[in-house]
Amino acid sequence: MEQEVTDAELVRTIAARGADARSAEEALCRRYAPRIRLYGLRHLRDEDRARDLVQMSLLAVLEAARAARIAELDKIERFVLATARNIAVRVRQRDARAQPMPVDDLEVLAGVVPEAPPVEREGLMRCFDQLEDRARSVVFLTFNEERSADEIAAALGTTAGNVRVVRHRAIAAIRKCLDGAAREVRA
Amino acid sequence: MTHLSFEDLVAYFAGDHPGEETLEEHLFGCDACSREASRVAAITETLRAEIPPVLDASRLATLRARGLRVVENELRPGDRLTLEFPQQVDILLHRLAGLDLTSAETVAVRIVAESTGRTLVEVADARFDRSAGAVLIACQRHFAAFPPDTLFEVTVRGAGEQRIERYSVHHVFQTSARS
Repeated sequence: MEQEVTDAELVRTIAARGADARSAEEALCRRYAPRIRLYGLRHLRDEDRARDLVQMSLLAVLEAARAARIAELDKIERFVLATARNIAVRVRQRDARAQPMPVDDLEVLAGVVPEAPPVEREGLMRCFDQLEDRARSVVFLTFNEERSADEIAAALGTTAGNVRVVRHRAIAAIRKCLDGAAREVRA
Repeated sequence: MTHLSFEDLVAYFAGDHPGEETLEEHLFGCDACSREASRVAAITETLRAEIPPVLDASRLATLRARGLRVVENELRPGDRLTLEFPQQVDILLHRLAGLDLTSAETVAVRIVAESTGRTLVEVADARFDRSAGAVLIACQRHFAAFPPDTLFEVTVRGAGEQRIERYSVHHVFQTSARS
């Protein structure tokens, strides 16, 4: 099995500005784009803004790598995370959006900003409908009404710990239900 | 290396993980956990993107401003109607009217499948439009997955009193097998 090139090797190749720099940039972007998107979904709560965050963060990381400004090469993931955190703060404060960028950078980033994995909404609602009453309430209040575990616990007359257990079991049940439906479609 | 648990990832996307910063450091450095997180997020963030079934006037205005096509029906307490969800419509809005909300402290909404008595959604502290004396229910196309016979039960509490009003709608979705 081919050994994956490390982050440090990619960043060194980018900084050297040689013939391999472009493919190293693309590899680094492909590696981190999905992770930045997930961070964006959690903190910006919006797919479009998460995708903007991916683009802005990767551009900042590439600029730092090209200028050899990344000090700790064995901790690139922390540098990328810190970059995403800083940019996400700006996005939240000013509702900043990705700005036009040079064509070369656009080409590097083309195709690395991940598409959201498709979830069929009606199928998801059918799986949601199959949950027990309490589980359905917990999932709805958590993700649709943005209520905390403590608020949900107070509303349902239980503990926050119980809400968390019901919640993750409910999401697992939805996933199992969706996987089962997908298998039926393939069969 | 210890990977993140499914429970950790669900708590993270619920905004409820006590060690969020540490979790993120692991997530950024771990390809396997990143892939698993992506699967969890596909479910939680699709659920989050859903429009809540109980709206207030400002949320409704936002949805209209986004270009969503809304058709409104006004229902009075005790009404029992069959309503069609037209093909070109995004939201079939049920305005549950005839409520005295002037002294309401809380409004609870329970949405029940009438034929089975099964609670579909329960909101103990629902948004409501005090001045209009109404609660707004946003019926959406993918609700075709739910049973079509729906009972909306609105409980208004305030000034030491509790009042319950009920409204029944049989939904017919033009594009679904039920229509």
